Amino acid sequence: MELDWGVVVRSWDLLMQGTWVTLVLFFLSLLLGTALGLILALMRMSQFRAVRWLSLGYIWVFRGIPVLVILFFSFFVVGRRLGLTPVQAGILGLGFSAAAYKAEIIRAGILSVDPGQAEASEALAMSKRHYMRRVIIPQSIRVIIPTYMSNSILVLKVTSVAVAIGIVELTGITRQLSNSTTRPIELFTAAAGIYVFLTTVLVVLQEVLERRFALKT
Amino acid sequence: MNSLVQVTGLRKSFGDLEVLKGVDFDVERGEVVAIIGPSGSGKTTMLRCINLLERPTGGRVEVDGRVLCDELDDGTMKFAEKGDVREIREQVGMVFQRFNLFPHMTALDNITEAPRSVRGLSKADADALATGLLESVGLGHKADAYPLQLSGGQQQRVAIARALAMEPAVMLFDEVTSAVDPELAGEILLVMKRLAQQGMTMLVVTHEMSFAAEVADRVLFIDHGVIVEQGPARDVLTDPQNPRTRAFLHAVLDRAPMTEDGGSAAGVGEESGFGSSDLFTDQAAADPKAEPADG
Amino acid sequence: MDWEVVFESVPLIWKGAGATVSMFAWALVIGTAGALALALMRLSASKALQWFAIGFGWLFRGIPLLILLFFAFFALPEIGILFSPFLAAIVGFSLWTAAYQAEVIRSGIIAVPPGQSEASEALGMTKWHYMRRIVLPQGLRIMVPPYTGNAITLLKQTSLATLVTVPEMTLLTQRIFSNNFKFIEPIFVLAMIYLAMTSVLLILSVAVEHAVSLKV
Repeated sequence: MELDWGVVVRSWDLLMQGTWVTLVLFFLSLLLGTALGLILALMRMSQFRAVRWLSLGYIWVFRGIPVLVILFFSFFVVGRRLGLTPVQAGILGLGFSAAAYKAEIIRAGILSVDPGQAEASEALAMSKRHYMRRVIIPQSIRVIIPTYMSNSILVLKVTSVAVAIGIVELTGITRQLSNSTTRPIELFTAAAGIYVFLTTVLVVLQEVLERRFALKT
Repeated sequence: MNSLVQVTGLRKSFGDLEVLKGVDFDVERGEVVAIIGPSGSGKTTMLRCINLLERPTGGRVEVDGRVLCDELDDGTMKFAEKGDVREIREQVGMVFQRFNLFPHMTALDNITEAPRSVRGLSKADADALATGLLESVGLGHKADAYPLQLSGGQQQRVAIARALAMEPAVMLFDEVTSAVDPELAGEILLVMKRLAQQGMTMLVVTHEMSFAAEVADRVLFIDHGVIVEQGPARDVLTDPQNPRTRAFLHAVLDRAPMTEDGGSAAGVGEESGFGSSDLFTDQAAADPKAEPADG
Repeated sequence: MDWEVVFESVPLIWKGAGATVSMFAWALVIGTAGALALALMRLSASKALQWFAIGFGWLFRGIPLLILLFFAFFALPEIGILFSPFLAAIVGFSLWTAAYQAEVIRSGIIAVPPGQSEASEALGMTKWHYMRRIVLPQGLRIMVPPYTGNAITLLKQTSLATLVTVPEMTLLTQRIFSNNFKFIEPIFVLAMIYLAMTSVLLILSVAVEHAVSLKV
C-alpha cells in the first residue's frame, strides 16, 4: 500500500493538542509525585516505626500494581466520588504512582551523602531540620539527578496509559485519528516520533543538569 | 641461543602522553630481572607490553623466538595473529598488583580454569596440578576457599600458583606486594624467592629494594620512559652511577634502610630449607600469626 | 465495599491470569534473548553493530509501550502483517523488554573490573571462553536486581494488553465494570492479584540475589 504522509500534516493541529494534554499530565503528575515522594522519603527515615512502615507500605503497594489499575481507581472510585474531570483523575493517579518511585530515588540520594556530613553539622549544633535542608539535601541532588531524570522519562511515557480512562492525550488522539482516517501507520509513526523527540529533550536536559550539579574540582 | 625475552626500541603512548620512549633490554633464561623506578615512570606499562596487555606504539617484542609485535619500516605496527598471541601468552605468566583472582571461583578452580580450557588438561590432571601448586605456596588447606575469604597475601599466592599452572617460560610480576598489608608481603616474596632459586625466568616490577638486592641478578632503573641505568643488582643498588638513580634510591631507602648484605625490614626470609622443592616453606606457614584468622 | 461482589469478582478476573502470565513469560524469554544479542552488539568491535544496538535502544526506550502495542495491532495489518491480539502484545512487550534488559546486561558486563579479562587474557584464554566463564557469571550478580526490576515492570505492563483486546485480567475486570457497574470491588481484586504476583517476583529476586552473591 501507498503511504500518505500528508495525513500527518493535515492532522498536525490535533496531534499538537494531544501533545499539550500529554505535557500537562506529565508536568502536574511529576510535580505531585515529587512532592509526595519527598514526604514519603522523609517518612521512610523517620524515627517512628509506624511512620516508616506507612511509607514502606505505600511504596510496596503503588509499585506492586500496574499504573492502569491505579488510574482505574483514581477515575472510577476517587474521581466519581469527588466529581473530578478525567484529566484531574489522571494527574492524581499518575502522581500517586510516580511518588512511590520518586520516594525511593530521593531516599537513596539522601543516604548516599557521607554520614560525616550529618555528624559535622550536629557537632556545629545545627538542628536536624536545618542541616537536612542546607547540608544533606543539596548534596544529595547530584546523586538524585540521573535516576530522577530517567524515571521522569518513564513518567512521560506512562502518561499514554491515560487513554484507558478516556483522556484524549497524544496516544488517544492518535488512535481516534487513525480510526477516522484509516492511516494508522503514518499516524502512529508520527506519534512515536513526537514521543521520541520529547524523551530525547529530557535526556539532553539530564546531561545539562548533571554537568551543572557536578562537584567543582 | 637467543635470549628468552627481547625488547627493542619499545615505545608506548596514551594519546599525547608518551609513557615509554624507546626501551631496549633482553632477559636470559633463568635470569631474574628487577625493574625499579618512581611511580609513573612506565615500568608497569613496559611489563604489560611483554604479553600485549598493552599494544606498543613502536618497537619490537619477542618471547622465546616468537615475535609478538614489530615495527615495520614505514613506522606502522604489525601484531601477531590472535591465536599466536594466545600461544605466546601461555609461555608468559603474569601476576597482577590487585591479584585479579576470579571471585566467583574457589582457589582450586581459579588455578584449573586455564589449564583445562587452554592446555586441554583433564579435570583430574588439572586438579592434581593445582593441588600440588597450592601446597607449594603453602595453601594446600585453602583449595575450597573463595578469594574474598582469603587475606591479600594468600590471594596473591593463589594468583602466583594460577600463573604457574600454565607452566610458563617466564613470569611477570607487577608490583605484587603493593596491594597487601606490609606484614603479609613477606609470604609473597618468599614464594617468589624460591621460584627464582628453582631457575624460573622472572621480570619483577617492585618497590621492595631488599628483595631486588637479594634475589635479582640484574636491576633496571626506569625513569620518564627510558632505562636510565642497569647492571648487576648489587652495583645498581649500592653504587648507582647515574644521579637520577642515586636520587631515587636515596628517597626510597630513607624509608626502608638497606645494608650491604641486603637485609631489610620487609624480610624475605632466611636462607634455610632451600633443599625442599616447595616454593613456600614453613617460615610463614608454620607461624600462626602470619596467617590471619579466616573470614 | 461490598464483600459479596469482591468474592464474585475473584473467579471472573482470575480467568485472565493464564493470559497475563503467558504474555509475561513469552516476552521475558524472547526479550532477554534479544537483549543479550543487543548488549553483545554494543560491546562488539563493529561500529555498525554498535550503532544498530544504540539506535534500537534509543527508539524503543523512547516510545511508550502502548504506542508499540497499538502499532503492532492497528498499523502492521495495513502492510499485511496480521497478528492476533495476543501475538501483537507479545511483539510489543518483547521489543520493550529487549531494549530495557539490553542496558541491564551491558551495564552488568562493563561493571566487571577490567582486571578480570586481563588476567584471563594473560592466561591465554579466548575471548569467547572468558566472557562465558569469567565475565558473564560475575556480571550476573550485578544484573539480578535491575533485571528483576524490569521483569516486575513488564508483568505490570501486561495490563496494557487490555487496550489491544487481549482477554487478560484487566480486560475481564473492565467487563465487570460494564456488566455490573461495580468498580471498587473488581479494582480491589485486580490490584491484590497483581500485588501478589509482583511480590512473588520480588521475593524470588532477593532469593536469586542471595544465591549468586560472592562467598565472603
